[in-house]
Amino acid sequence: MRALVIDDSKVMRRIVAGILEGLGYEVQQAGHGREGLDVLAGGWVPELVCVDWNMPVMDGLQFVSAVRSNPTWRHVTIMMVTSESEHGQIVRALAAGAHEYVIKPFTADAIRDKLALLGLLPQDVVR
Amino acid sequence: MNEFHDTGERRRSSDTPLLITDLIDEETVRSIAQEAWSALIGDDEFLVPLPGGPPDDAVSSWVDVVGPWTGTVVLTCSRATAEELARCLLAEHAPPVLDAEDVHDALGELANVVGGNVKAVLPGPSALGLPELGSIPAAGPPADTCRVDLLWRGRSLTITVQGSAGAVHITPENNPQKNEVPL
Repeated sequence: MRALVIDDSKVMRRIVAGILEGLGYEVQQAGHGREGLDVLAGGWVPELVCVDWNMPVMDGLQFVSAVRSNPTWRHVTIMMVTSESEHGQIVRALAAGAHEYVIKPFTADAIRDKLALLGLLPQDVVR
Repeated sequence: MNEFHDTGERRRSSDTPLLITDLIDEETVRSIAQEAWSALIGDDEFLVPLPGGPPDDAVSSWVDVVGPWTGTVVLTCSRATAEELARCLLAEHAPPVLDAEDVHDALGELANVVGGNVKAVLPGPSALGLPELGSIPAAGPPADTCRVDLLWRGRSLTITVQGSAGAVHITPENNPQKNEVPL
């Protein structure tokens, strides 16, 4: 399975990508929403996108809206991974089309649990 | 933990500005920081509420909060502490040699996580800014400042939640002077 990690923090990208790679994902990274859209538009369409909220150029909410407005990418599962923890913000993200929401700080187990809920744990990890 | 209860009353522009000391206390800030440290730095990493004195080569990272209360959440430590935090944060994902961007990024991400969770207990809705990094920002007025002095692995670390009134941040762009500490 493939995953795209979008975060303006290189450190956070490495951490999330490391967790996903440990679960068997092939991972690409992008520094903001616009870069993320460029990856998708280039034809590398993953099963999962983990996206931060607050980023320069294009934030996570704009990215989610852009992905959801393109029928070609409707099947992509989007998980927001962000320090935005206000209830209203979570509702906005889910309403825009995000499937799951992970609040920073998080643990590797929290990511794994969310992926299990989404049915996105690779089979050899589930067993 | 201080909790803000929305009574349904709406604030007028003539109302007295909200002060951070009425909205959050030191223990809540410490608790938020401890949760971030446990999740991101390590299960056994503890922040001890003891002042360690200001480091000579302090660096700060901060995020702005804009909303019913407007101000800044600032994380300050020494350069060596920032490097150690970056190494712990990246853990097995750390490159063999950490560059300055890694250290900036790690300190910024910690400020971002602490700031985001501080914002969550303040009256909302509020917006969170992107992390910035530089020398210690000017302190806000004492009545609108909540400061927590901590020790992590015996190293001094300060988290300040300070109102924006009168606070001018010193950044590499507006103060390239002698107190600047390049990472």
